[in-house]
Amino acid sequence: MENGTQGEGKDPSSFLAEIIGNAVTVKLNSGVIYKGNPPHFRSTWQIDMRLTHLVLGELQSVDGYMNIALEKTEEYVNGVKRRTYGDAFVRGNNVMYISAD
Amino acid sequence: MADAEEGPTGSVSEPLDLVRLLLDEVVFVKLRGDRELKGRLYAYDSHMNLVLGDVVETIYLIDEDEEDEDIKTTTKKSEMLFVRGDSVVLVSPQTSS
Amino acid sequence: MAFPIQYHIATLYALKMAGFWTFFKTLIDHEVTIELKNDIQIRGTLKSVDQYLNIKLDDIQVVEELKYPHLSSVKNVFIRGSVVRYVHLPAAAVDVPLLEDATRREAANQAGKGK
Repeated sequence: MENGTQGEGKDPSSFLAEIIGNAVTVKLNSGVIYKGNPPHFRSTWQIDMRLTHLVLGELQSVDGYMNIALEKTEEYVNGVKRRTYGDAFVRGNNVMYISAD
Repeated sequence: MADAEEGPTGSVSEPLDLVRLLLDEVVFVKLRGDRELKGRLYAYDSHMNLVLGDVVETIYLIDEDEEDEDIKTTTKKSEMLFVRGDSVVLVSPQTSS
Repeated sequence: MAFPIQYHIATLYALKMAGFWTFFKTLIDHEVTIELKNDIQIRGTLKSVDQYLNIKLDDIQVVEELKYPHLSSVKNVFIRGSVVRYVHLPAAAVDVPLLEDATRREAANQAGKGK
């Protein structure tokens, strides 16, 4: 039994520890606000829309706030590559999930 | 001798170490609300509160008035800027481009 | 009357506690522009700041006053820290090397706290 550590199941942080150095996908929960003036209304409106916002890279480290350090990072918005970064720090509160590729 | 970093991943053993290495460097900061900053990093803390010098801010406004939505960008400059951490999404070294 | 604060700038930066609070205290009586998360910008004299970075401003003036007329008669404000996006600082009043040193010291103190 490789993972039966003292009767405790694997917890989320041990998953994170295991995938250090791996290629990962990080989904962000950033909302994008569209503002505009539709012709039929006097006032301005705004809609909060959720975009798919992904960051891919090699995971350097994670901490308890889910702050993340990535290497060789690529950023995708709605499936379109927006940017690449050598290193990137992602603030934990923006993270929806981290998945090992 | 300085204290050795623990952990197998060298000098970046936790995410904030990456930001520490960017002190006094020009950084790219992505913020909530379709904003980006470029500037020299003078200070940060664990909340990602920042102080940046010689800052250029780019704001992206997506305008859906027209049939085809066009994206307007506005840029603003600031000599010395404090950024509240809760707006920060991503911090990265600025690759000269 | 504000001068004692100036004399103690180095001491304030050197304190290991609450980095940005300490930093803002060195800017008291300077003019700053605060940009809120709702895009309103308020210029005024920094009168006080607390550990949450709540800020009191005197002699305020709203940038783009025509757009935000409801604040035109207000002379001073207390701004809750959490609604602040930016504070534009007077560059001449910021001692950059001191600030970077204070940041490094704070980073060393904080290391490992997020684990």
